[in-house]
Amino acid sequence: MNNGTTTTQRVTITYTAPPNFLASEHWKQVYAALLSQLPLRNLHWKSSFRPNIRTIQELDVTFVSAETRRDDSHTSQIPQTVLEKPLLNAYIVVCDDADTYKNTVKKQIKDWHSNVTQRKNQEWLIIHVVRPDSKAASQRLFQIKTSVLDKIKADFNVEKRDRCVQLVWSYDHDNPTAWAEFINKVKEGLLCAFDAAITQREEEVRRSEGQRQMPGWNFCTFFILKESLATSFEGMNLHEDALDTYNELEALFFEVLKEKNLSWFGTLITPAPKDDSVPLLSTSKKPYRDLILANTITIFDFRTYLLARQCIILRGMRHLIEVAQKSVAFLSAFGRRLREVEQGSLPKYFVEAWAYASALSVVEQCDAWAKGLEFPKVALANFNALKGELIELARHQLDIVGINVGHLPSRPPFSIALPSRIPRDASNQVVDQSSQKITQADMLKALEDKETFYSLYSKITNRAIELYAAAGRRKFALKMHGSLAALDVHRGRLSSALQTFSSLPAHYAPHGWTSLEAYMLSQALDIHASVGKAKDRDWVYILLDFLKAYIQDLGKDLLLTGPDHVAYVTGLVDALTAAARDAPTEMTHHDHPAFSVEIPSSDAKTVEKRDGAILDVNIHCSLPCPLPIDEVSVTLSGRDGSKIIFVDKVSSLEPGKNALSLFCHSASAGTYSLHSTQVKMSNLTLQWVHSPPPTGKQSRVKRPPVLVRVPRDLHAVDVRLRQPQRIQLGTAPSIVAVFTSGRNEIRSAILKLSAPSGVKFLYKDASASSEDQVLLEHGTDSATLSDIAPGQTILLSMPHTDASAYHAMRVNITVEYTTAAEPDVVRILQLVRYVLTALPVAINVEDFFRGTRLFTRFTLSSTSPQHVRILSTELVSQGPGDDGLKITKCISPSRRLTTITPAQPGRFLFQLDSARGEERDPLHLKIRYRMLREEVEQVMESIIDDVIVESEALALRRPEILDILVQALEKDPAWVSLYEVTGELVIPNVTAGEDDIGQALVQIKKLLDKSRRLEEFPGEWREIIIPVDVPQMHILAAASLRISSNPFSADPSKALDLFAGQPIHAILTIRTSFHWAPMEDSHTKSYRMRFDVEELSKDWLVSGRKRGDFVAVDDETFTTSITLIALHHGELALPKVAVTALPLPGEHRMKAQMLPSCETYQIHGAQTVLVLPRGGRSTFVVSMGDSA
Amino acid sequence: MPPQLRLNAVAFVSSQNHPILIRTFSQPKQDELKYHYIAHTSLDVIDERITAAGATKSTECYLGLLYVEDVAVYGYMTPLKVKIIIALELSDNVVRDIDVITISQALHTAYRRSVANPFLRLHAPSDNVTDHAVVVSAGSQKWKLFRERVDEICRAVTLPAAA
Repeated sequence: MNNGTTTTQRVTITYTAPPNFLASEHWKQVYAALLSQLPLRNLHWKSSFRPNIRTIQELDVTFVSAETRRDDSHTSQIPQTVLEKPLLNAYIVVCDDADTYKNTVKKQIKDWHSNVTQRKNQEWLIIHVVRPDSKAASQRLFQIKTSVLDKIKADFNVEKRDRCVQLVWSYDHDNPTAWAEFINKVKEGLLCAFDAAITQREEEVRRSEGQRQMPGWNFCTFFILKESLATSFEGMNLHEDALDTYNELEALFFEVLKEKNLSWFGTLITPAPKDDSVPLLSTSKKPYRDLILANTITIFDFRTYLLARQCIILRGMRHLIEVAQKSVAFLSAFGRRLREVEQGSLPKYFVEAWAYASALSVVEQCDAWAKGLEFPKVALANFNALKGELIELARHQLDIVGINVGHLPSRPPFSIALPSRIPRDASNQVVDQSSQKITQADMLKALEDKETFYSLYSKITNRAIELYAAAGRRKFALKMHGSLAALDVHRGRLSSALQTFSSLPAHYAPHGWTSLEAYMLSQALDIHASVGKAKDRDWVYILLDFLKAYIQDLGKDLLLTGPDHVAYVTGLVDALTAAARDAPTEMTHHDHPAFSVEIPSSDAKTVEKRDGAILDVNIHCSLPCPLPIDEVSVTLSGRDGSKIIFVDKVSSLEPGKNALSLFCHSASAGTYSLHSTQVKMSNLTLQWVHSPPPTGKQSRVKRPPVLVRVPRDLHAVDVRLRQPQRIQLGTAPSIVAVFTSGRNEIRSAILKLSAPSGVKFLYKDASASSEDQVLLEHGTDSATLSDIAPGQTILLSMPHTDASAYHAMRVNITVEYTTAAEPDVVRILQLVRYVLTALPVAINVEDFFRGTRLFTRFTLSSTSPQHVRILSTELVSQGPGDDGLKITKCISPSRRLTTITPAQPGRFLFQLDSARGEERDPLHLKIRYRMLREEVEQVMESIIDDVIVESEALALRRPEILDILVQALEKDPAWVSLYEVTGELVIPNVTAGEDDIGQALVQIKKLLDKSRRLEEFPGEWREIIIPVDVPQMHILAAASLRISSNPFSADPSKALDLFAGQPIHAILTIRTSFHWAPMEDSHTKSYRMRFDVEELSKDWLVSGRKRGDFVAVDDETFTTSITLIALHHGELALPKVAVTALPLPGEHRMKAQMLPSCETYQIHGAQTVLVLPRGGRSTFVVSMGDSA
Repeated sequence: MPPQLRLNAVAFVSSQNHPILIRTFSQPKQDELKYHYIAHTSLDVIDERITAAGATKSTECYLGLLYVEDVAVYGYMTPLKVKIIIALELSDNVVRDIDVITISQALHTAYRRSVANPFLRLHAPSDNVTDHAVVVSAGSQKWKLFRERVDEICRAVTLPAAA
């Protein structure tokens, strides 16, 4: 193969020297040294016609003897490269002696010089070689040595330029400084000559081009002339200029082509025998230049030659990518032209064979050229990509040939390669006018044998895939894979084709290339059908994917069934229905875009006749045919994760909008968000999840959730929770579930309660309120009620484990019930209720002992912001009958309701009189109360009942009326204070309508606005029973301080005047009683005690035994006396006496000394004594007015 | 006179490589697949060009001849990275870049005017002004005007040749 560079003319330098020197050994050394300095590097060519300096990195130079060049004949008129002739002629002088020079050498140089200077566009140079030994000698004879070079210069340098150079010869010829001047001179000379030659040649070219419009101008001649410029540049390694020249030539060619002036050429193509199989990028396969000169070159050959030359130059610039690029463009464009114009005169399949062979040869050539070159990563990928394009081009030729021969069917993707403007079947009828045959070996073999063709086809395709993969052109590779699969289909290798076609769509889907995706999928479906494989799960998924792509805009573009694609899809949908029916397992497909769900109204509706709600849903179906389905369901999710499902049985979804009303039989009221939709088609479920879970990174656009409000159905089954009517502390706590059946006659209802706080409900102890005739069954985790009449309300008391840690308890209620009307429907109602577990009132107890009596004061205050209405309090002994404990209540003048609030507690006082002192039976405090809200509701209900008795229609609206009134009261608390005192209920701001309800409301308002005695109002009262223990006290001490007028007085009762400062005798008595002592300590007969008289240092001085111990015995009195001195006059309270019990000797409990409990009260606690001012002497200080 | 150009197909591809519109003007229906393939495979070449342009910090919209495959495929990328792919009938004549650029710019204008249609955003969520789906939906069959504009450009390209 011709690699291009060998033909390039190199720059030539001739040398001349005296023959005796040329024969010498010395010359051989010099010559070798000269050659070692080549090639020349870094030449800078400053052309007068070019704006920039061109730099030649490296230039090879041929150094020849002038004798060998002399016989060159310059007779040819064909413009040759300017490098044909030497650019520089050198004369080598070896002469140290001025005399020798003058006598002989000068003459020799003169002869040479006169010869050389006559030549056009050539430079000359005289090199004076100085021996190193002579140089040593010349140092002594300095003036002589210089004179030789100077003489040469003087004799021959006619212009300013110095064309003489001295080469100081030394054996270490590596020394660059020795050569620098010489090399510079050589470069200078070469460039100067080259510039002159080029300038002249360019002038000629310009002149010729200027004559283009004149008769007689010949494009081919011009081409050869201008091409000589290009080859000259190439020889100088000025590749860019060379390429520019060829590009200009190409442009000119196209211009000529456009002018349709092709008389300089032969025919478009005269196919030579091997034309279709020789390498494209070879300039030596035909004598192109001769053909051009003879004006007989065909356009085919001419353009091939032009391309090859351009590519060779590009190769010199190492632009292999452009080589491939140019070749692809040329092969496609020119191949097309050949097909268009000369279809009949070429051997059959000539164009295809030519393009095929050329493309492959370019790839080979590029690979050969690329050897040893290193590409950066991006360029390498690019290079591979372009090689891939070339291979693909070759593959397309196979497509064309294959279709024509009949190896391949004439349908996509094979027919893609067919040139679009030629009628597809015309190429089959081409008469083979040419007797020649194509010669491309692969092609010939492939034409004959189908299998060879197929293997060649897949080999070439795989090669293209590999190259594209290496180039990172994934999408090109996918296309190739698609065509391989299509080949498999044609060859009947259906399973591998199916595999490819079912894996390809995944590559097209992500970016919405639905047209290609749909095409691949429909291929897969077709294959599936033709294989007759079972329509299994995979098939269903392929089909669903296909439908997904199909409904997109672009998806229909590539369906080959054309306008009949509706029938095609209908067939598929029918098959899908069958497959879904026969599928062994459930299949779920998510988010199929063929259907979209819309909820037109955000409110669900209640049904009049039965429990449940209806939701209107629009389902938009994008398929062109009806889709038979079984049911549609919409799931809404509530606040606490509860889900309600609206279902409707639908037989099919029509194309376009389907308005459906879905029914949910157990929808509890509240706001829900649209969660998911399901369309069920026997075993296939299409599912759309509308509100994805908030966790996880969601890249998709966040849309607000679709909200649906389910209204409250006042006539539906409902369960509410409340505290029991009667709360008894100390027993198991319980709550009351209020079950209302509403409009339903209920067969059975299973009630399940659960509390997230962990409180357990004790179903086995549950009991229904006694007045209802209801069957109650206890399960381990549920309670079942049966046979409940419509409108019935059942109170179910449900004990539970301790919940005192919580103020309120959340309870999730699940009710499963069946009604008599619809015995098959199990409704499941999920409710969340909150119930207070704390007592509504807080209780404080204070006890006061007085001998055998005990006063107990209870302070009740509300624990919640609600007002509590207290009807009565009662303290009852739990002991058997007459036990001697007499409880007396503080009698209030009238039976009145007491309202307690957190700010305003209520106090209730009881007196207990224990006769025997041994009663220890527990007491119960019973509080009857109701919350203000309950009371008001009861009042309203009774009034409403009174009013609506008159009308049957209103009876049904009772819950609504109550609802309106309650809401009105909730808005404004101004009615509370009036109501609490008078019982008048003023309903604020109710706008009464004109209908029945409005009239009823007016009437009710009027009735409510009357004063009523709420104590007598019949209503439910709640009861709290609080166990209270009778308090115990070991020792009850009654201390008394009595002033005895005079210790010596016989009549102590006689009042005595007391004076301040006067010692007063007082008797201290402490009476101790063990009446309230605990039973277990009743054996103790005495306690050691200590008394202490209080110091009142401002009022009294106490002297005597103010503190002391004594032994207390039941019902005994300890007496002692002290002396008091009043410190000032006035009404003075006597000092208090503190009495404390001393620890019991010897009794220890928990290492602490046992201290008996003891309470002391002062008998004289309220007594005062009048102390008179001291008589006798009084001092009066009279102010004299000076400080006023 | 500019050389005769024949516009075979035009494709608009969104910034995220979603096809917006693929319009083919050549007659046989079978060629649709070819032009869809061309639009799709061109993206690979455009990616290469963008990488190359990124290296040189070029802001040129016109990406030049992408590749040749029976038709000449040219690429153009708008500043918002919408790719316009033009398939010209391959001819042996020189196709001037300026002609292709003119066609590209006309197509770009057609697209721009269509995307400016406020009704495109009728059902789009209001909080997302740069919704990609909106851009893609401009090519949907609902909006006929865009197609008409593109077809008109195609006619204008081929008309002077026919005249």
